[in-house]
Amino acid sequence: MVETLAQAVINGLLIGGIYALVSIGVTLIFGVVKIVNFAQGEFVMIGMYISFFLATRFGIDPVISLVVSMPVLFVVGVLIQHFLIQRVLGLNDMPQIFLTFALSLLIVNLSLMLFTANYRTVHTWYSDEAFHIAGLYIPLAKLIAFILAMVLSGVLWVFLHTTDLGKAMRAASQNRDVAMLMGINTNRVFCVALGVALALAGAAGSLLMPFYPAYPMVGQVFVLMAFVAVVLGTLGNIIGALAASLMMGVAESLGVQFVGADSGLIVVFLMLLLTLAVRPSGLAGGRPR
Amino acid sequence: MPGGDRDNAKTTIMRKPRGWGVLSLCLLTVIVLALPGVLKSSFAIDILIRILLFAFIGVAWNLMGGYAKQLSLGHAAYFGLGAYTSTLMQVDFGISPWIGMFAGGVVAMLASLPIGWLCFRLRGPYFTIATIATAQVLMLIFLKFRDFAWGAEGTTIPNLGNAPLMMQFEAKAAYYYIALALLAIGLAITYRIERSRMGYYLVAIGENEDAAEAVGVNAPRIKRDIYMLSAFLTALAGTFYTQYIYFIDPATAFNFNISIEAALVSIVGGIGTLWGPVIGTVLLETTSALLQSWLGSSSGGIQLTVYSLILMAMILWRPTGIMGFLFEIYGRHIRAEPARA
Repeated sequence: MVETLAQAVINGLLIGGIYALVSIGVTLIFGVVKIVNFAQGEFVMIGMYISFFLATRFGIDPVISLVVSMPVLFVVGVLIQHFLIQRVLGLNDMPQIFLTFALSLLIVNLSLMLFTANYRTVHTWYSDEAFHIAGLYIPLAKLIAFILAMVLSGVLWVFLHTTDLGKAMRAASQNRDVAMLMGINTNRVFCVALGVALALAGAAGSLLMPFYPAYPMVGQVFVLMAFVAVVLGTLGNIIGALAASLMMGVAESLGVQFVGADSGLIVVFLMLLLTLAVRPSGLAGGRPR
Repeated sequence: MPGGDRDNAKTTIMRKPRGWGVLSLCLLTVIVLALPGVLKSSFAIDILIRILLFAFIGVAWNLMGGYAKQLSLGHAAYFGLGAYTSTLMQVDFGISPWIGMFAGGVVAMLASLPIGWLCFRLRGPYFTIATIATAQVLMLIFLKFRDFAWGAEGTTIPNLGNAPLMMQFEAKAAYYYIALALLAIGLAITYRIERSRMGYYLVAIGENEDAAEAVGVNAPRIKRDIYMLSAFLTALAGTFYTQYIYFIDPATAFNFNISIEAALVSIVGGIGTLWGPVIGTVLLETTSALLQSWLGSSSGGIQLTVYSLILMAMILWRPTGIMGFLFEIYGRHIRAEPARA
């Protein structure tokens, strides 16, 4: 019993690291640009397909292809901010919500047309490897993904707290108008925020590839998790999003372990609704206009 | 700002001579009533029924999403509840879907109370996310509890041949007229509400909820009431659709695409306008029908790809939708003259 519980917690923590990369992206965009990016999961999907094609065409290891997927998605993020999101800032809710929503629809359905709905997997030498410690089973691929996810989150934290650009981003997220008055180029800061957030989503995709299938709708799972985690961890708060993501991973894994294998998604949705019911002040009340 | 333009345009429209409006409405009615007689192709009637049905769902969505700007993406919840209520009543107890339809509406209204209680505590994107979650939870519940409603396999509606009392017809035209009646009811309700105290409350909430409350609008009650009405109408569409395709399962009844399309047709047509959802549906459904006949139905994803491109183009260039655009042109041509005099 204790072992099953510990195993479920470990499984949850390992996948929670990936959720963290996605939700840190969502929270970063919300904090700085004040937009909820409905398409964040789709960039995870793009990251997965980049790694998939690099692995099948050129035999590049998915984890190594991180160095391709992250810069590519950084550029995509900057372009999206500059050419799309920038145009709806300052308008009312409808364009702001439905722009990223339309983007998500577009990316999913384009991928359906280009890649079909088939599941794509990449098998690496470490896909089936695992550590056995004290009766617990720790898959190597998930461990690598978790460790790299934590490293990337740490790098982001250091970036936000030590570099000028990072400090400017934090300033813009605390108070955009005052930051602007202090001479911060908000447009540049917004572009970097989108770029960094999408690069993290791309990294999540690459890290997932050795043990998770890629398909056009794969992003939904991750974006929903991210929304819950971002809400739980207080909007715009990166450490909060990280901790909440790990918690969400564990909760999901416990749900699968003790309620049933097909209940993962229902657990997520119920947690989302529960969170919204119990802690709406963190969202509605705390939503700066 | 686009909002300002639209308000100006609205007052112009109201000052327009009444005769023309009545005349064009009569003409439209005659054409729409005569269409099934003229068109012999069943494919064309199918498309027309889809247009009427989604225009009706769009009208129901628009009451809440358009006027009060509560941007729900969870209306599939009520569509599915309506569909399941009438089907359960028909299959288990032999009760006519005509009664089941309204029972479904009432079930949807009652369901909208707790869902609204939960979701209306949130604003902006969080409201939208919460509504998505509620519809998905309902779908998962219907998938999981198979003893109650057939689970994932769904069920077919027993085909009774031509049985008007059980909402089953041999002629497709009959379904066309039912859908048309639903749309007419939806438009009539919208027309009445638009011109009532309620309509102004809704627009006030949509423009700025805090300000509306500050001047004495009971926003929570108004939002609850309009959500109930919107849910009721959407559920009617659910019953009709199930009767039309003779089949129900959680994946079709609670399909996320229904929620998307309800919002989409209104946004493309012009949210918060009487005819916006109708115009939006005509544009989108015609596009999708043309795409289907050109490319065949095999190319998955093409329809929503095109929809999302249209949606993005609208958001970026015409956030007030086609109606806003028409008002603008109208305003430019008609208002220019008295302004000069």
